[in-house]
Amino acid sequence: MRRILQALSLLLFSTLFALATYKLPDWLPADIYLRLDPLLGLNAIFAGREIIGRALWALVTIGATVVIARFFCAYVCPMGVSIDFLDFLLFRKKKRQNLKAESSLRKIKYFLLVIFIITAITGLSLAFLMDPMSLLTRFYTFFIYPLTITLVNLLLDLLRPLFQILGWVTLSHLHYFQSVYYMTAITFLIFGGILALNRLVPRFWCRYLCPLGAFLSFLSPLGFFKRRVNEDCNECLKCQKACPMGAVAEDPRATRLPECIQCRTCAEVCPQHAITFPASFSLGGEYSKVDLSRRGFLYSLAGGLGVGFLGMQTPYILKQGKHPLIRPPGAIPESDFLRTCIRCGECMKSCLTNTLQPSLWESGFSGLWTPKMEPRLAPCDQNCNVCGKVCPTQAIRSLSLEEKTHAKVGTAVLRKEMCLVWAENKLCLICDEICPYNAIVFRPVEGYRRPVVVASKCNGCGFCEQRCPVKGDSAIVVIPNGEIRLKEGSYTSEAKKLQLEFKPDPGDDKYILEESGFNTEEKKKGRESVLPKEKTQPQKPKGFL
Amino acid sequence: VGKHRQRITRRQFLKRTAAGMALGLIGRPSFSIADEEYDLAAISGEPVAATKKALEAMGGITRFVKKGQRVVLKPNMSFSRTPDFSATTHPLVVATVAQACMEAGAQQVLVLDHTLQRAELCLERAGIREACKNISGAHVLALQEKKFFGEIKIPQGKVLERVEVFKEILDGHVLINIPVAKSHSATGVSLGLKGLMGIIWDRESFHSQFNINQAIADLATVIKPKLTILDATRALASGGPGGPGEVKKPNLIIAGIDPVAVDSYGVSIVPWYGQNFKGRQVEHLLVAHQRGLGKIDIDQLKIYKGTV
Repeated sequence: MRRILQALSLLLFSTLFALATYKLPDWLPADIYLRLDPLLGLNAIFAGREIIGRALWALVTIGATVVIARFFCAYVCPMGVSIDFLDFLLFRKKKRQNLKAESSLRKIKYFLLVIFIITAITGLSLAFLMDPMSLLTRFYTFFIYPLTITLVNLLLDLLRPLFQILGWVTLSHLHYFQSVYYMTAITFLIFGGILALNRLVPRFWCRYLCPLGAFLSFLSPLGFFKRRVNEDCNECLKCQKACPMGAVAEDPRATRLPECIQCRTCAEVCPQHAITFPASFSLGGEYSKVDLSRRGFLYSLAGGLGVGFLGMQTPYILKQGKHPLIRPPGAIPESDFLRTCIRCGECMKSCLTNTLQPSLWESGFSGLWTPKMEPRLAPCDQNCNVCGKVCPTQAIRSLSLEEKTHAKVGTAVLRKEMCLVWAENKLCLICDEICPYNAIVFRPVEGYRRPVVVASKCNGCGFCEQRCPVKGDSAIVVIPNGEIRLKEGSYTSEAKKLQLEFKPDPGDDKYILEESGFNTEEKKKGRESVLPKEKTQPQKPKGFL
Repeated sequence: VGKHRQRITRRQFLKRTAAGMALGLIGRPSFSIADEEYDLAAISGEPVAATKKALEAMGGITRFVKKGQRVVLKPNMSFSRTPDFSATTHPLVVATVAQACMEAGAQQVLVLDHTLQRAELCLERAGIREACKNISGAHVLALQEKKFFGEIKIPQGKVLERVEVFKEILDGHVLINIPVAKSHSATGVSLGLKGLMGIIWDRESFHSQFNINQAIADLATVIKPKLTILDATRALASGGPGGPGEVKKPNLIIAGIDPVAVDSYGVSIVPWYGQNFKGRQVEHLLVAHQRGLGKIDIDQLKIYKGTV
């Protein structure tokens, strides 16, 4: 029964993850697992100093835990499922004994919880490092998702001859877009490390490290359902050995309620059938206190403050206007953004063009894994607004397409010393051709038409940077200058206020005709008699004679 | 206008009568017009009707597509733009041709393009997939992977020795080109010949490495569509190839076997960038003509003009 629920939960998590993509219906909360996570919610609310609507979903988890104790870890948590499943695959036959330091190890998660909460209060969002929902979504985004696409494409390639013989046209031409990300390896190593710890003791992560588990542990003793052992118990200690959480105390009749995740493994293995889980209002005995010593608490408090301070030691945080990154459209102002973003990677997974990539150190420790646009790799598509839709803390606001178009992320800047036209007098107009907003015009300079960016028409989408034919770095790059970052209110009206206009209108292609360097041999021939020889400044659009 | 329309109707009436007689005689209604062997058909009207009429005027689809053959239709669906931007072929024109091919007994119709923007988006926005979804046997696909392309040698190439094109084109599919009429910032206009760049893998090199006008002509020496149907129901007169730009409404379908002739006529129908041009003034058309790939002077063409 538990296995089925767990499998269903992982399936639901994976399905929602897969659905988090362009065309996500507005009603479907693909980020629901992340919203339900109270640690992420608290982290974002404390660090961002604001009540976040979506984070209030976590009250459901809190409420349910108060009613039925720490069931979340055993039945819902997809990280728990993954750990259980891979544990079964990898370590089933390994003999593992309870660790000697069990009781002090168990405290680590509480210390971590205190550290993360305190850190959040200092204004640094750090819970993402160890929150299971964030960790797992990130692992899915940067590892499982690209790997799945690779495998599917491989399979399609293998079966393609067969499809062709069978005449299955669509399948014989099917190929999925391969997303790639920075930091896949590091994300994998972290997840791999968590799994490897299981070699020591089952659910090592859940027992000792998981800060979300720690949070739920605090509430767990309030739950109605509690383990009870009746007098048939012969102290065989089978339950103690079988408990994946080490929740059965030295005296097998007693239960460490904060650790008990209601998995009922003990009841299954008990040869005497002496274990039941009736409703009970007691708060448990001595074993059910969350044993955070005062000293430990103070240390972790100090630790949280210390980490909070250390995390802020990046110049870019203090001078938020100087951050060098292009953030996704709709990202709230930089310092709020860093505080609110929980680094789940959902935006990067859902990004249609794969332009959203995780940052490493670009904005310091506090910016780890935050999404940035990488326009050289891919542009931001005009018809897509999914990154905001899936953001569980609304660090990227969910915007309509109209609003998103006006959420200017930066401005394209021409690097004349690299531009083929400016530096080498070559004919090139790819940036103009591709610009969806006609923000690039041609002006005649020194006998050549040369591209110029009209900043008030550029919303930083990055098509120009991506398509620039200069090898290596682009000769036209999007910089954060002019970005609009609003915590609330309309981007459209803000853009209007700033007299910006992002419209797919025909623009002034007349430059191409009137002032450009085109080949006009035929015209020249016709006019040679009338026109002075040196007047060879061509008058036709490229391609016309 | 009424008078005009009446006259056309009479003419049509006569044609239909002739068609009926021809049908009675040889049982092939499509021969009714094809007897005269026009170089081009330029039909004014709504997309579906005009396309049908243009096919009929060129001798009927059965002249190009035989029973059991596999067909590749090459529309322009390279941009994730809706049809009103005129950067892509009108969906109904493509669907009409696809339908006609299937009715002529084609085994299958592949509607293919190597899209410039993300395949899924292009298919969704251009509307061609949607328009063709009820035509059984027709498949609309955007190919963006090298594995779907195969190499072909260009013996008469001036700048290209070989090029990689859709594998389907190499293995005997009938190719029908269905470009949209639009301006192009590098080649002046993008009609049939330029549109064929959508069947090759490495388009970038045409722009960056080679003389694009010669490269287009090189490509045209080996890739010869059985028929070119230029969708000029709308024309993107500036801002091409991707738009946004000035969209004109010539309401024309131009069909022909000679790709240069079709394009040359296409150049003449609207002013590009606000200026009138002839086919000869478009460099890649002139190059193609000079290399013997087709006729460029439209006053020497036999053109069937009609309105539906």
